[in-house]
Amino acid sequence: MLKKSIAVLAVSTLGLTGCAATEESLTLYSGRKENLVQPLLDQFTEDTGIEVEVRYAGTSETAALILEEGENTQADVFLGVGGAALGALSRGGAFVEIDQEILDLVPAKFRSVDDDWVGTSGRARIMVYNKENVTQIPSSVMELSNPEWEDRIAIAPSYGSFQAFVTAMRVIEGDEKALQWLSAMSENALIFNKDEEVMEAVESGTADAGLVNHYYFYRRGVEDGFENLISEAGFFTSNDVGNLVNVAGAGMLNDSEQAKAFIEYLLSDAGQQYFSDETMEYPLTSGVQPSEKLIPLDQVPTAELDLNDIDQLDRTLELMREAGLL
Amino acid sequence: MRQKPPAVLVLLAVFATLISLVPIAYLLFRGSQAFEQLLIELLRPRTLELLFNTTILVVSVTLASLVIGVMQAWLVVRTNLPFRNFFAVAAALPLAMPSYVSAFGWVSLFPGFYGFWPSLLVMTMTTAPYVYLAVAASLVSSNFQAEEVARSLGKNRTQVLKSVTWPIIRPAATASSLLVALYTLSEFGAVATLRFETFTIGVYNAYRSSFDRNAAAAIAIVLVVFTLLILYGERKSRGKVRNFEPHSGKRIRIKISGRYGFASGLLGLAFLGIGIPVAALVRWSVVGSSRAELERLTDAVLVTIGYSIAAGIIITLFALAITLVTVRYKSSLASPIESGVWIGHALPGIVVALSLVFLGANLLPGIYQTIWIVLIAYVALFLPNGLAGIRNPVSQIPIGLDEVGRSLGQSRLQILRRITLPIVSPGVLASLALVTLTVMKELPATLLLRPTGVDTLATRLWALTDASSYAAAAPYGLLLFLLGGIPAWLLNRQIRKTLDATT
Repeated sequence: MLKKSIAVLAVSTLGLTGCAATEESLTLYSGRKENLVQPLLDQFTEDTGIEVEVRYAGTSETAALILEEGENTQADVFLGVGGAALGALSRGGAFVEIDQEILDLVPAKFRSVDDDWVGTSGRARIMVYNKENVTQIPSSVMELSNPEWEDRIAIAPSYGSFQAFVTAMRVIEGDEKALQWLSAMSENALIFNKDEEVMEAVESGTADAGLVNHYYFYRRGVEDGFENLISEAGFFTSNDVGNLVNVAGAGMLNDSEQAKAFIEYLLSDAGQQYFSDETMEYPLTSGVQPSEKLIPLDQVPTAELDLNDIDQLDRTLELMREAGLL
Repeated sequence: MRQKPPAVLVLLAVFATLISLVPIAYLLFRGSQAFEQLLIELLRPRTLELLFNTTILVVSVTLASLVIGVMQAWLVVRTNLPFRNFFAVAAALPLAMPSYVSAFGWVSLFPGFYGFWPSLLVMTMTTAPYVYLAVAASLVSSNFQAEEVARSLGKNRTQVLKSVTWPIIRPAATASSLLVALYTLSEFGAVATLRFETFTIGVYNAYRSSFDRNAAAAIAIVLVVFTLLILYGERKSRGKVRNFEPHSGKRIRIKISGRYGFASGLLGLAFLGIGIPVAALVRWSVVGSSRAELERLTDAVLVTIGYSIAAGIIITLFALAITLVTVRYKSSLASPIESGVWIGHALPGIVVALSLVFLGANLLPGIYQTIWIVLIAYVALFLPNGLAGIRNPVSQIPIGLDEVGRSLGQSRLQILRRITLPIVSPGVLASLALVTLTVMKELPATLLLRPTGVDTLATRLWALTDASSYAAAAPYGLLLFLLGGIPAWLLNRQIRKTLDATT
C-alpha cells in the first residue's frame, strides 16, 4: 500500500496525471457528491469499457470552472444539481446540443428549452411530520406562516434546494408574498444547515415538521425501517410550490462518442435504476418505475413551473436576508 | 553606498511578482467587461452593509490578535511564567487548525453559535499565532536588559512597555497584523459557517446565486481597494527595524505577580483555540458510523506533504529573493514589487483559483491541472506569508558587513552566500515552516486546480463533510492538525531554545 501511495505522490508531483481524456476515457466534472456518483461511474466503466476521470467540487464552483475554461474546457460532461446551474451553463454557451432522441426520453419540463441539458433524476420538496403531533398536512406551504406553527417547523434556509424552492415561490406568488412568508418563517421556524439535519430534528422529536428533499426521508426509512420512524412524509395537497420538483442533470461540453455514451447511460434503465435504488431519487424516463415507497412523480400535486425560469437566485437571497433567515 | 542586486535575484523577484499579479489582471479584465455592473454593485445599499460588516470584523480581529499575540509572546519570552515551554507551543498550535474546521467544530458542539462574536472568537484564535510567532521572535533576538535599565531609571511598567518594549516589537507586530487583517478579509469558510456576511461571502454568493463572474469580480475589486487602504496604513505605522544587537550579560526574567493567574488565562486560550475544535473532531469520530478508508487517507497524507513542502520551498526562495532586492539592496524596483505582491493577498481563494483556471486552460494548457498550476496558485496566495517572516531578519543585518566582504575582494554573489544567507537562515527556516503550514490547509484553489483524481487532506475533508460523513471526515481533520503541528513545533524551536538559556 505504501508503495502505491508513493507512486501516487510521485506521479502527481511530476504532473503526469491530469491530462485530457484519451480516446477510451471520459472526463467528468461533477457537482454531485462523490459518495453518490462514484458507484454509478464504476458501473458505467464496467458496462462500456470507458474509463472515467472525474473532478469533484460543488455545483456552482464547477459551473464557474467550466465557464472560465471556456473553449478549452477539459470536461466532456458536466453533472450537477439544480436547473439554475444547468441553465447558467447553457446561457454561457458551454454546452453542445443533445440528440433529440435522447432528450425525448425525459419530459420537456425537466430539460433545457435550448436542448442542451437534460435532467437525469428528480427530487421533490416534501414535508416530513411527526405522526402523533401533526394530523393533517396543510393544503399549501404558505399556511406554515400561520402562528399555530410557531417553533414547530424546521427548515434549512442556507441549503440550495430550499433556496430554489423560494425562487419558485417568488416566480409563482410574487416577491411581496414570498417576503411575507419568509418573514413569518423567521418567527416560526427552527433553523438548520442542511436538509439532513432537518430530517434528524423531526425524527428526534425536536421539531413537529420539516421541509426537505424527499429522499432524505426515504433514505432514512430504508436505513432504519419505515415502521420504526416516528415521522411520515407527504405533499401539500393543493397544486403547490411547496412540492417543487427539481432535477439533477447533465450537459455535454463536446459531442464526443464518450460524452454521448455517458448521457445515454445516465438515462438508460441501468442508470435510472441506480438513482432510484441508491439515491432514492425519481427516475425521469418511462423505462424505470420509482421506488414503490414513493408517490409517482405524475401524481405529485406540484405547481406548473418551468425549471428554466427559476435561475434568479440573487433576488431570493436578498429577500431571505431581509427576512432574517440568512 | 548600496550595491546593485545580482541579476538572478531580480529575475526571481520580478517573476514572483508577476505571478502575484495574475489575479489582479484577471479581475481588471472581468471588471472591464462589465463596468456598468461594477457601478451598480458598488452603489447598492447591500455593499454598504458588507463594507460595515467587513470593516468591523477586520478591525476587531486584528486588534484582538495583536493584544493576545503580544501578551503571549511577552509572557513566554520575558517573564517567569510557569510551564513556559508548554505555552510556547500551545500559543502557536492553533495555526495548525484550519479555520473552517475550527468554525465547524464550534457550531457542531454549540448549535446556534452564529454571528459577529463567534466569528470574532474563531478568527482571533486562528490568527493570533501569526502575531505571537513574529513578536516572540523579535523579543528573543533583542536585548533583554533594556527593560531592566529603564525600570532602574524609575520608569513604571506601562512606561517601559510604551517606550522600550513597543519600539522593539513594533515592526514584527505591524507586519503580522497586516497578515491577520488580510487573512480575515479573505476568509470564507469560517465566516460562512458562522453566518457573518463579509465581502468574501458577497463574492461567493455572486458565483452561487447568479453564476455571474463579472459581478463577483466587481465585489472582489472592492476587496482590492480595501487591501490598498490597509497596506497604506501599515506602511505608515511600520516603524524602523532596529539593527541586530548582540546579547550581553545575563538574561534575567521579569518577575510578575499572579503568574499562575496568567498561566490559567493562557490555558483558557489554548482550550478555545485547540481544545474545542479537537473535541469536536473526536466527537464526530465517536458518534458517526462512517469510516475512513486507510489507503485513501495515506495517499492524501503523502500528497499533502509533497504539495506543501514543494510550495514551502518555492515560496520561501521567492520571498528571500524579493526581500533581498527590496530591503537589502533597496533597489528602485522595491516599491512596485512590494505593492504587487501584497495587493492581491485579501482575495478569496476562489478568485485566485478561477484566475489561474482562466490563465491555465487558455494560455498554459501544458501545465493546466498539474501540480505546477497548483504551485503557482500557492505562490499567488501565500507569497506574503513568506515575506512577513523574512523581512525583519534581513533588515537586522548590519549593512557594514557587506563592505567588509567587498574590501576582502568577494563578489556580490559570494557575499550573499557567505555572509548574508548564514545570518538570515533562522528567519528563512521559520518562513518555510509557516508557509508549509499555511499551504497544507488550503482548500478552494486546490479543489479547482489539482490534477484530476488527486486528493489532499483538505479536499477529502471537504468531500466527506459535504456528504455529512463526519466520522469518516474526522481522521482527515485530526491528521491535518497533527501534520500542521510539526511545522508549528519547528517554528517554536528558536523561542524554546532561548527559554532554556534564560534564568
